[in-house]
Amino acid sequence: MTSELADAPLEEIPTGVPLVQLKDVGKQYGHIIALHGINLKVGKGEVTCVLGDNGAGKSTLIKIVAGRHQHDEGQLLVDGQEVRLSSPREALNHGIATVYQDLAVVPLMPVWRNFFLGSEMVDGFWPFRKLSIDQMRTTAKDELHKMGIDLPDIDAPIGTLSGGQRQCVAIARAVFFGARVLILDEPTAALGVKQSGVVLRYISASAKSGLGVIFITHNPHHAYMVGNHFVLLNRGRMTLDCKYEDITLDQLTTEMAGGDELQTLTHELKR
Amino acid sequence: MKNTRTSSALVALAAVAVLGLAACSGSGGKQEEEKASGGNNAAVADTPRVKIAMITHEAPGDTFWDLIRKGAEAAAAKDNVELIYSNDPQAPKQASLIQTAIDSDVDAIATTLSNPDALGPVVQKAVEAGIPVVEFNAGVDSWEDTGALMYFGQDETVAGQAVGERLNEEGAKNAMCVIQEQGQVQLEARCAGVEETFSGKTQKLYVNGRDMPSVGSNIEAKLAQDKTIDRVVTLGAPFALAAVQSVEGAGSSAQVVTFDTNADLVAAIEAGDVQWAIDQQPYLQGYEAIDSLWLYLTNGNIIGGGEAVLTGPSFIDQENIDTVAEYAKRGTR
Amino acid sequence: MSESPVATETPLADERVTKTSPLQKLLLRPELGALVGAIGIYVFFFAVADPFRSLDAFSTIMYSSSTIGIMAVGVALLMIGGEFDLSAGVAVTTSALTASLFSYEFSTNVWVGIFVALAVALAIGFFNGYLVMKTKIPSFLITLGTFLMLQGANLAVTKLLTGQVASRNISDMDGFGLADAIFASDFSIAGTTFRISIVWWLVFVAIATWLLLRTKVGNWIYAVGGDAESARAVGVPVVKTKIGLFMGVGFLAWFAGMHLLFTFNSVQSGEGVGNEFIFIIAAVIGGCLLTGGYGTAIGAAIGAFIYGMTEKGIVYAGWNPDWVKFFLGVMLLLATVTNLWVRNRASRS
Repeated sequence: MTSELADAPLEEIPTGVPLVQLKDVGKQYGHIIALHGINLKVGKGEVTCVLGDNGAGKSTLIKIVAGRHQHDEGQLLVDGQEVRLSSPREALNHGIATVYQDLAVVPLMPVWRNFFLGSEMVDGFWPFRKLSIDQMRTTAKDELHKMGIDLPDIDAPIGTLSGGQRQCVAIARAVFFGARVLILDEPTAALGVKQSGVVLRYISASAKSGLGVIFITHNPHHAYMVGNHFVLLNRGRMTLDCKYEDITLDQLTTEMAGGDELQTLTHELKR
Repeated sequence: MKNTRTSSALVALAAVAVLGLAACSGSGGKQEEEKASGGNNAAVADTPRVKIAMITHEAPGDTFWDLIRKGAEAAAAKDNVELIYSNDPQAPKQASLIQTAIDSDVDAIATTLSNPDALGPVVQKAVEAGIPVVEFNAGVDSWEDTGALMYFGQDETVAGQAVGERLNEEGAKNAMCVIQEQGQVQLEARCAGVEETFSGKTQKLYVNGRDMPSVGSNIEAKLAQDKTIDRVVTLGAPFALAAVQSVEGAGSSAQVVTFDTNADLVAAIEAGDVQWAIDQQPYLQGYEAIDSLWLYLTNGNIIGGGEAVLTGPSFIDQENIDTVAEYAKRGTR
Repeated sequence: MSESPVATETPLADERVTKTSPLQKLLLRPELGALVGAIGIYVFFFAVADPFRSLDAFSTIMYSSSTIGIMAVGVALLMIGGEFDLSAGVAVTTSALTASLFSYEFSTNVWVGIFVALAVALAIGFFNGYLVMKTKIPSFLITLGTFLMLQGANLAVTKLLTGQVASRNISDMDGFGLADAIFASDFSIAGTTFRISIVWWLVFVAIATWLLLRTKVGNWIYAVGGDAESARAVGVPVVKTKIGLFMGVGFLAWFAGMHLLFTFNSVQSGEGVGNEFIFIIAAVIGGCLLTGGYGTAIGAAIGAFIYGMTEKGIVYAGWNPDWVKFFLGVMLLLATVTNLWVRNRASRS
């Protein structure tokens, strides 16, 4: 294996210490406060759901944890240690992998090339170092098969796959490359009911296998099915932070829809 | 396609190679040129300094225009003239350059009349504004209509006809005229002149003058297509030199002749690779255009008596090459 | 997003049932359309033009294709990487002038000039790439700027140093013989003379193909052209890859420039203008997408061959020279349309 991430020993992390924790994190773009006072943590085998409407600050939150942007206030802790992630590569080195809404796949490239993109397997010596194509193709196929994804043609451009399949390839890729924390950005947003089910099953399976998952969504039903913690963002601030045991789906849905606002709206539109 | 490490390695490699090879060239190069060249310092006229604008349709990077400019600069240096040179191959832009000269109140204008329809009106405007205008190089048929005082140049058609006649004398049968810029009036006129007087077959070949390898391979292809071609007529010195290689490459026995000269071409004539060149003395055109204006401004002289002053055609071949060779090496023929 | 008919959601399905046939895979290759076009044009000229049939003619066509093709390799890779280089044509002239002027002016061995030219060519590539990546301005605009700058500098520096618009003849200087042998010599096969540039062209195509399909860097090139943001997100060094591609064009411009210089011994400073589009045309005919992320080096080579073949074929056919450009346009359009048609047929069946 070429990836050093896979070798990261899970055992060494003291139990009870969250894999990733945010303490009072804030972020400003110029005069606009995108995030303020965010507290969040995700531990091994847990799914933390971040809910919120468009513009609530979910993307900014992901970008900070994924190393695409840096936070201005508060602390970001990985395994209890404070860090500043300056690039996606650095986040990956800490075992934090992000599966974006656009999946970060290159549509015209074959599935197996996408699977290994940025972490290719090579052999030989420079300048004759070449890709281990057979090994990469077999590995990609096997890994996907393990996740229950069976592709007829591993050489097909990934753009020809269905949305759910691409989502799963992206998740499988992150898991294979030793992710300990998965950040999933609206993985079910563009999917139909059946396809969403497939993806939610993987999320649940990933968590059970010991990963920490940060699941970004605006669908409370999906969140409630897999989540252990729920954090609700509104205009860059946290408006809800509770555990699965402390909330019902109805409450979550109401909170998500803006509580009182929803009642007003229901009243208004009453027929 | 390489990472930074590879590229810096390349740079390092280049640096090492430079150090290793830093030994000077034993032959050729600037040193030898400097050893050979002498100075030519002439006295400067004591007439008041005047400002003359020279505007041409030079396409950037054509060796022919070097000679015109050198002639003009030599005259300017000698006559105490401030020479303002500008050029654009597109007629409307050349017209606006002339307008710029008028606006900046120059004492006189020397211009090529590459496109009489486009440039005529603006030249007339200059004349009306009291600026004396001399035309040169192009426009032999219509320079008088524009109100210009004098004209220095050669008639392209006449030059072409002279080439045709010489080819007749030599007993040539099939000539290929290589045009490096499709649709350029002067170049077309040269080939048309050749066709008029040449009793054999004349055919044209258009090439892209901005792409030398393609010029060479196109001439080669044409020579293979028509094996009876026995003369390649090029319309500029660099193209004659490319044609020499093509003739060799195609295994053809055709001879290369050309319009215009430069230093390498003179050497090629000496070596017998190019048979002869027909010369319109561009240096003389540039020189006379400025010098005649200076004479007009300081003494009211007019050269030519209302007729165009022809600077060509004259032939350069192995018989008279010795007299030209020396000047060609200096870059003035 | 399209729902693929062959894809299946059901785990553990037999993956062999809907496997793409090898023939269809072949038909889906980006360069296949160009190959069909090339064969078509070859057959056409073979039929109408006697002189076209000789081996000598083939050699001339290959030579002509190689002078375009060497640059088309670099330009194709750059296009696959999602960028353009409009300065590629004049950069060739810049390299040739640099080598020639440097060794002449300082009376050095020509190899000193050759390596200085290499450094300059790579620096131009780096400059282009760095500016494109740092400013985020489309490469079309950045390299249009460098194109004009180089065009002006070619002329101005040449004039400044030599007092004329062409570089001096360097054929009598030390080191010329070896350089001439490497960059511009001939060799014979079965009585036909071939130029060495043909060999170099094929070598560069082979290296580029290997690089694209068999190396990590090749994977990155497709990725940065296909979707630069996605590539960055999974850790592909986008900036380095793209700058490297621009420098690759610089390297090939240097090589093409050396060929130009040692073939003609002196260089006209106005040369090369307009060639940048021919390189792009060759790459596009060869199946490279203008939007990036798709194409092959072999395709670009076939594209260059189509261009060279058409340009020379018209001369071999002896058609009225006034119409040459017109015919050239028609042929290129036909080749491109054939390419598209073949690709559409292949992906539909």
